[in-house]
Amino acid sequence: MVHCREWDPHALATRTAAVFALLACVTLTACARSAPPPAPGSSSVPPAIAYEAHVSAGGIPPAGGALSNPHAGDAAAAKAGAQLFAAMNCDGCHNVGGSGWVGPSLADGRWRYGGADAAVFSSIYFGRPKGMPAFGGVLGADGVWTLVTYLRSLPMPSDVPTESWEQP
Amino acid sequence: MLLQPVLLLMLSCAVIGVSAGTAHATDTAPGPAEDGQWTMPAKSYGATRYSGLTQINAQNARALRPLWTFSTGVLAGHEGQPLVVGETMYVVTPWPNVLYAFDLRKEGHPLRWKYRPDVSSNALGVACCDAVNRGAFYADGRIVYNLLDGHTVAVDARSGRELWKTAIADMGDGETVTMAPFVVADRVIVGASGGEFGIYGWLKALDLKTGKIVWTGHNMGPDKDMLAAPGTFRPPYDAGVDVGAKSWAGDSWKSGGAPVWGWISYDPELDLIYYGTGNAAPYDPEARVGDNKWSASVLARRPATGELVWAYQFTPHDNWDYDATGAMLLVDLTIAGKPVKALVHFDKNGFAYTLDRATGRVLVAAQFAAVNWAKSVDLASGRPVIDPARQTGVSKGKVSGVCPSLEGAVSPASPPAYSPRTHLFYTSTNNLCMDYAAAHASHLRATPYIGVDFAYHPGPGGNLGAFIAWDATSGRKAWEDKESYPSWSGALVTAGDVAFYGTLDGWFKAVDARSGQLLSKFKVGSGVVGNPIAYRGPDGKEYIAVYAGIGGDWALLAGDTRSDDPTDVREPAEFMKDIARHTSQGGIVWIFGL
Repeated sequence: MVHCREWDPHALATRTAAVFALLACVTLTACARSAPPPAPGSSSVPPAIAYEAHVSAGGIPPAGGALSNPHAGDAAAAKAGAQLFAAMNCDGCHNVGGSGWVGPSLADGRWRYGGADAAVFSSIYFGRPKGMPAFGGVLGADGVWTLVTYLRSLPMPSDVPTESWEQP
Repeated sequence: MLLQPVLLLMLSCAVIGVSAGTAHATDTAPGPAEDGQWTMPAKSYGATRYSGLTQINAQNARALRPLWTFSTGVLAGHEGQPLVVGETMYVVTPWPNVLYAFDLRKEGHPLRWKYRPDVSSNALGVACCDAVNRGAFYADGRIVYNLLDGHTVAVDARSGRELWKTAIADMGDGETVTMAPFVVADRVIVGASGGEFGIYGWLKALDLKTGKIVWTGHNMGPDKDMLAAPGTFRPPYDAGVDVGAKSWAGDSWKSGGAPVWGWISYDPELDLIYYGTGNAAPYDPEARVGDNKWSASVLARRPATGELVWAYQFTPHDNWDYDATGAMLLVDLTIAGKPVKALVHFDKNGFAYTLDRATGRVLVAAQFAAVNWAKSVDLASGRPVIDPARQTGVSKGKVSGVCPSLEGAVSPASPPAYSPRTHLFYTSTNNLCMDYAAAHASHLRATPYIGVDFAYHPGPGGNLGAFIAWDATSGRKAWEDKESYPSWSGALVTAGDVAFYGTLDGWFKAVDARSGQLLSKFKVGSGVVGNPIAYRGPDGKEYIAVYAGIGGDWALLAGDTRSDDPTDVREPAEFMKDIARHTSQGGIVWIFGL
C-alpha cells in the first residue's frame, strides 16, 4: 500500500488553530456529578484526563471537563485521518495501519491510556510518557479529532489473548 | 550468490586449499601479547574480535557449560558486549542504561557497584527501532559510554563515581545515541542515530579528561561542515568541491540522515579512524536525487582534529535503507602476492568489501548473500552495477523481491570476527528479501522521516539466516552454518580455533573455526543479539561471556516476542510466524567455561 501524503502540516496547523479555539469552548463542558463543576475560564482545574482504567482515591473521580469528538462516526473524517496518520509520520512508530512497531499497536483493541475518544484525544494532543510526542501544537484540536476518528474506524479484532502453535 | 550445498562444499574445500597458496592473509604485525582482558567493544583497535586465549579449544569445547548468570532487569534488545578490565566485568544495559560492575574474584560475582544515570524516557520514542546500547569503552581508569537520550558519560572504573556527563545529541532533532564510544589517546569519539528522523549526521570528539566537545565533523554537507580541506581530503573516486552537498537535490542533505550508530576502528600507523555512515533519509530516494554522499559510506578521519582524509560510498543514492554502519576490520592481507593494509567490511547491501585502508580503493567486492539490487561492483569506478528493475521511489510504486531486505544481508549491530590463524572472517548473515513501496514523507521535527511500506520474505533456500566463514582475499565463502531465523549476534573467534555466536531463537553456539562443525550449544533463555567475548578470569581460567535478550528491530520481530505490556498484542510476523514460540524478551548475562 502506498500512502498519499498531501497534507502540509504547517498550513494545517494554521488552519486548525482557529478551529481549536472554537472547539475548546464548545466541547469542554463540565460533567462531574460528585464535585462542583470548574468555574468557566478557571485555570486551576485541569481538563479531563481520566480514562476508564483509572482508579480514584476514595472512589471519587476528580472534577474535570468532558471532551466529545465532533467527527465521531464521520467516514469522511476517518478517511482524512488516515492521510493524516501518514502525513504526521504516526506510521513511523506505530506502523502502517497502526499495527505496532517501536510504538504500541493501535489496532489490537487494547489501550495503555484508555480507548474512549477523549482518552485517545488526550494521548495525541498532549503526548504520553516514553516518547509519544505532543501533536496538539502542530495539529490543533480538529486535526487530533480527525486522527481519533480514523483510529476509531480501524477494524478492531475481538480480543484474542491466546497465541498457540499447537495443531488444533 | 546462491550456492547449492554440494557446490558450496566443493568451494569450501577449494578455498581452504587455496588459502595456503597465492591469495592468503598473513599475520604480519603480531599484536601485543594476550592479556586476557576485553577493554574495548571489538577487543582491538583493528576490530577483529579475536582473542589469543587457547584453554577453550576445538578439542574440548564440547564440554563448555554455563557457570554464572545475571538478570539485567531490562527487557529491550541486549546488543553490545561486556568489558573485562582486570578483575571486574562491566555491563551496560539498554535504556535506562544502567552500568553494572561485577567482582570476578568472588563467588557469585557480586556487584562492586552499579551506576544509574538520569536518562529521559522520551528517548524511547525517538530511538527508531529499539532502546539498544552497543557497549562501553575503557580508557585511562574510566568507563565511557553513551546514553540513549543523547549524552556521553565517563564513570570512574574503580568507584563508579560519575566524572563527567556531556550532552552530545538533540532528541528534538531526532537524535539518539546507541553506539559504543571509541577512544584514541585523549579523544572520545561518538556519533548519533537518527537515519529514520532525518538528522544531519555527524561524528564528534570529546576530551577524555573533561568531556568537552573538541570537534564535530558532519557526514555530508559542504566541505567546511565535513572538516574536508582541499588537498588533504582525497577520496579515491568522486573527488570534487562540496560533493557532500552537491550530490543531493537542493538542500536535502540538511535532513539526509547518514547517522553513526555502529563501530569505529583505528590504525595507529596511518593515524586514521574508520567508521561507516547509515542510510540516506527519507526512504523515498526520489526526494533526494543524486548520489547522496557520504551516506552509506566509510569515512577515514584523523582522530586528533577530525580532518577527513578519504571516503568511499558503498551504496550511492541508497534506495533500500542499506546502512554502512557495520564494523570496518583492519587486517594485513596478501592479495595477488602483494601485502595490503586492508579494511574488510560486510555491508547490509550484501557485498563484502576489501579496501586498501590507506587510500579507500576497492580491491575485492563479492556477494556473501542473496543480492539482486546490483550485479557486481566495478573496481575501476568503485560503483555498483545496478539492476534498474530494483530501483525504488514513489513513482515506481511497490517494487517486489528486492534482495537483501532492509534488515541487511548482515545487521551492522552484528560485528564480524577475524582469526589470523585461519585467515578467515566470521559473520552472522540474514537471508531475507523484501517488497519496498516508497511513500512521501514530511520532515516534521522529532517525528520519524521514513516513508515506506515494506514486507519481508525468506530468501532463496528458505533458511532465514546463517553463520559464515569468509576469505576476504578471494571473496569466497569457506563454509556456512544455516540457521532457521535471521542471525543477529556478533562473532567471536579465539586462538583455540573456536568461533562463537548466538541465534535469534536463543541458542549460544561454539563451532570449529576451520570447518564450522558444531561443538556445543546451550539455550540461554532469550534470543541472542549481543556479541560474545573471551577473557581470562582472576583464577587464570578462560571464560566466554555473552548477553541473551532478543530485540533490536521491531520491524524484524513483529512484536509477539514481548509479554510485558498487556495493552500491546500483535500478530506474528508473516515471514517468521513462530519466533515467539522459542523466545521471549529478557536481558541475561551469561558466563561459560569448562
